[in-house]
Parts: sequence; structure tokens; C-alpha cells
Amino acid sequence: MTIDMQVFKQFAEQIPHLGERAQPPQMADHKRVSAAKETFVRKLDARMAVDLESCIHCGHCASACHFYVGTEDPKYVPIRKLDLLKRVYRRELSPLRWLHRLYTDDITLKELQEWQELVYDSCTECGRCSMVCPMGINIAGMVNVMRQGMARAGMMPAELMAMEQEQGVHDSLFGVGPEQMKGAIMQLQQSGLDIPLDKHDADILVTTSVIDIMLFTDGLIATAKILNHLGLNWTLRSDGYEAANFGLLSGCERVQKIASERIVLAARACGAKTVLIPECGHAYPSMRWEAANEHGGKLPFEVLAISEFLGREVKAGRLKLNPMGREKKITYHDPCKLARHSGAIEEPRWVLDALGVDFREVESNKELNWCCGGGAGVFLINSASELRQKAFEIKMGQVEKTGADSVVTACGSCRLNFMNGSMRSGWDKGIESLVEIVAEALPVQQSSEPAKQTTAS
Amino acid sequence: MTLLDFARGPALEWSLMIMVAGSLWRLVGAFMVRRTADLSEPRSHSTVAGGLRTVFTRMWPRKEFRSETLFGVVAGYAMHIGLAIVVFLFTPHILFIDSLLGVSWPGVSNDFVMFAGAITVAAMVALLIRRLTTPLLKAISGADDYISWAVTMLPVLTGMMAYAHIGGPYQTVLAVHILTVELMFIWFPFGKLFHAVLWIPSRAQLGAAMQRRGVKA
Repeated sequence: MTIDMQVFKQFAEQIPHLGERAQPPQMADHKRVSAAKETFVRKLDARMAVDLESCIHCGHCASACHFYVGTEDPKYVPIRKLDLLKRVYRRELSPLRWLHRLYTDDITLKELQEWQELVYDSCTECGRCSMVCPMGINIAGMVNVMRQGMARAGMMPAELMAMEQEQGVHDSLFGVGPEQMKGAIMQLQQSGLDIPLDKHDADILVTTSVIDIMLFTDGLIATAKILNHLGLNWTLRSDGYEAANFGLLSGCERVQKIASERIVLAARACGAKTVLIPECGHAYPSMRWEAANEHGGKLPFEVLAISEFLGREVKAGRLKLNPMGREKKITYHDPCKLARHSGAIEEPRWVLDALGVDFREVESNKELNWCCGGGAGVFLINSASELRQKAFEIKMGQVEKTGADSVVTACGSCRLNFMNGSMRSGWDKGIESLVEIVAEALPVQQSSEPAKQTTAS
Repeated sequence: MTLLDFARGPALEWSLMIMVAGSLWRLVGAFMVRRTADLSEPRSHSTVAGGLRTVFTRMWPRKEFRSETLFGVVAGYAMHIGLAIVVFLFTPHILFIDSLLGVSWPGVSNDFVMFAGAITVAAMVALLIRRLTTPLLKAISGADDYISWAVTMLPVLTGMMAYAHIGGPYQTVLAVHILTVELMFIWFPFGKLFHAVLWIPSRAQLGAAMQRRGVKA
């Protein structure tokens, strides 16, 4: 099942105008600098302190970064992206700050402006640099702190600002809010698909994303078919359906919390034991790892990515699939936020194994995968277009080497970036969604009763 | 008081005090920056094992990164191993450590130590040339890199000069050698030489954090 490229093109045509909707905050220059610094100091913790004290300036992180490898421009060396954070640390928090202040300059507005490109356009927070660093420095985590400081200073890219503001204020993305979502679901219901909406009692709260509603409707349909096939008690809820979190992507902590709390409240309202995250890379760590800390306590439900859920169901023998045959040659692209950031690595492979396809791994895979170049909101940043393409070419080369006919992934952003990159390069590989190919392989049930299920765990 | 007496006496005492006190200050200070509990449900509880594993596995790059990092890794190991042989297996150094701490061990032949010293010098020169000529390294290098290089190189060079009886009267060259070692002691807590302390906690915390998420770092 592949998406209509015409629909994708219509969606892509909106992106150049996305930033026009942003309403940049009016702030005095000195207030921008102090807001960024205050955020850096507030977010820096002991782990980051040890990391910032440890760097030996070996430059190995560059060899792991798709933006550096794609351009060979020294400004994109990952550890350099933390220079401003490091200087604030040295001047304000370091145990040797009394000494560092003598020769370490304070950060300036001009530098913050310069660094916007380095922490947004040229970093997907993929974390591959941490896998090569001989000191084990978590660069991506600190780039996120840089983004949070930039966001407080009102200096995020206009595209992410527009999305963050829309999500925070209107509870919508690309103009799709709860009412539009309900309308889309009703249309699917009218077509005969059983999609429970706004149930008060459900074991599983299924979340979706604006991308699935607007573009990858097949992904949403596939999810519904699979859950119905398994006979699970699930629901979508109009008060907590959007898994994409533009607060996290832009660095706006306030909106990040608002977006994740909507899902927490919706899950509580229906008594869900499981929250299922759609094929949306960053949405998973947003709920799986970040939400509890924003919420201020352990979440009363389990958070599963759809790829993780499918893998577990297959492994447990609850989800049987029709083999697709060895003539289907595929490879899998590990979304960074699912694999390296979250450990959902083997589950999609269990699914592909159950599908009986000719599965071919790319050379650097699983927790060492190359990012496709579009993560962490970079796909929407217009000024990052060329950089993104250079990063994508690395991925493209990897896929080519496998000899696979198509790439399967479990992240809508990755899929969009693959499609965009393919369109620009005239690449002919198929780009498929894991959940969609699983839905295609569901066996036809003999009786009208769904497969009996008691739990989803 | 001769220069050698000064080097072996007050200079040694003060430099050691600065190194120990400064190191404790920097280490404890970094660990005392704000800590927050992670309230998310871990995928794995084996964080200690994960941390320890990363401390060891990061000693050699994974095959995916090997070709790009090979030069730095091999030169780095040559420099560190050579330096360790010179510092800990040269008989006069063992006698010096014995006089300070009361512990000793057998040394190796002087020729072998000189060979190790030469390897160290060659590796350090190669690393410096690479730092000065590679755009990516120039972009992330600062005074600390060059000071740390110099205060490491000087004791090796002056030590080899003292052993070979070149560069002036032996007593003077020996005194200069000891003073350069003391310069390194003094610089140790302030610059990147401190990675000799931090490599374990920094690797361990990444390994533990990733293990918590079910990923082998």
C-alpha cells in the first residue's frame, strides 16, 4: 500500500508557507539572551555537567553525523553545536566558574542567531554521535536543551513556531483539530470501518497524528483493522488523539506539556491501560520517556509504539500473518527516536520475519542506524532543505546497497522525508509503512468473531 | 636551595596538592549540579550492568565507526600506552613513587622505556599535526588542547633528554624534567587532561541511561 504522490505533493506545497503563520514574540534583544541563558542554567543537570567537562575534542562525533558527513562543513561537527551551552555552563555552573569567567565570553544575540541553524536545521537529535563518542557524551540530549533555550528566546524556526503555537493555542495542527479529526473518523466509519470514537471505557487509547489524518489515512485504517482483528477494546478520543508534539520538536516546554497532558487525561478518562502511539518517531519518546516527568509522576498506563505493539503480538502468537513471500525484497529503516532513543529495535524485525519476506539489513542498523535527515521537525524547516537532502543521500546509498525493492519504516516523518528525497532524486524504491503491510497480511477470519484477546501486553 | 631541591621539595608538594584538591573540587562540583529523578517506567532495570558495559565497550570503536576513527584511536592508544610505560615502568619513576607512596613493582629495561617514549612523542606529534591541519578539528580546538598537549609532551621530552644526558648539566635537566611534570600536575584539574578521571563516569552514565531505554550503548 503506497501513498498517492499527488496528495503528498499537495501537502508538500503547504510547507513553504508554514512559517507565515508564526507570530514571533516581541522581546528586547537582551531579554532574548537572558531567557536563553536562564533556560540553559535551569535545564543543565549533573549528567550534562559531567558530559561537558569530559570532551577531549577528538572530533569522532563528526564521523557519525549525517549533516557533517553529507557536507564536510566543520561548523556541523556535533559537539560544536553545544558551544553556547558549554560557555553558559562554564560561566554559571562549572566548579571552576571563577576561573572560566576570566577568559570565557558571555553568549550574545548574534551567536544565538547563528546557532539556530546548528541546533534546528542541522541536527535531528538522532543521537548517533553519542554512539561513537569515546567519552560517551550525550550530545543530542543537550541539543534539545539548546532548543529549549532558543524557544524561550523566541528564536526557533518560523515553521516550528507556527506549529507549536497552533498546537498550544488551538489544539490543532495544519488546521486539523478535534472537529476535523472527528469528521475524518466519521467518514471512515461511514465507509464501513469500525473505529470506536470517544468511548468511555477502553483498554487501549489509540493516538494518531495530523499526518495520518491528512496523508497516511491508510495507516490509521490499518491500525483499526489490526486492533479489530485482535478483538481488542480500544478507542480514539477527540480530547487526546494527537501524538505529534511540536512543543518537544520546537523546544517549547509549555506546549510539550500541554500536548502530552491531553493524552494523559484522555487515557485516564477512558481508563486505558495502554496508550498506542502511531507511526510517528518523536511522539514515542515524548510519551514514553518525557511525559511522566512533565506529569510529575508515573503514568497510569503503558506506552507502546505501534511497531512495538505489533512485534509483541506476533511474538506472543496472538497475531498471525499471511506470509508475503520471499520475492518481496525489503529493508527496514529504524527511526532514530524508536530505535536508538527508545529500544524498539527487535519488535519490527519480528513482524518482518513473520511476513516471510526477503529482509535485508542496511549496513549500519538498529541502534547505529543513519538518520534519514528529516527527524526532530527538520522535515518542515524550509531553510534545511538542501542539508536534509544531503543527509538523505547517505540513507539512499545504504538502501541501494541492500538490493531491496522497498524500504519499510515505522515513522511518518521518516516516510515523508523518504518520499520528498525520492521525489527530488528520482529514486524508485517503494516506501512502505510497517502497520500498513501488516494489515495487508491479516488472515481472513473464518468466523465473524474476532481473535479472542484479554490483554495487549 | 638548588633548582633540583626546589623541584623535589616545595614545588612537588604544592603541585601535588593543587592536583588533588583541584581534581576533587572539579569532580565533586560537577556531580553536585542539580539532579532530577527520571519518573518514566524503565524498559530495563540493569542500568549498573549497562553502565559498566559501556565503560569497557567504548575502549574500541564499533565496526561501523572504525574506518573513520582509526587514526585517532590508534595514535591515541600509542600515546597513552607509551606514556603509561614511561611513567609506571621506568625504574627511577618506580623508585620515586615508592618514596612517595611506599609501593613499588618491577620495572622494564631502559631501552624499552626509551622506545615507548619515542612512540609517545611520535604519536603526539602526529595528533598535533592532525589537529592543526584538519578543518573539523580546528573548529573544535582551543587553548586547552594545545596547553594540555604541551604539558604532556614536555615531561616526556625532558625525561628523555635527562636519560640521554643532553641539553645541559644532568642535575639541571633533571630538575627541569621534574618541574615540567609538576606543571602537568598543576594543569591537570583545569584542562582536558581531566578526562583521565571523567572517562569512567561519563561513559557509565550514557551506558546506564541507554540501558534504561533498552539500548546497548
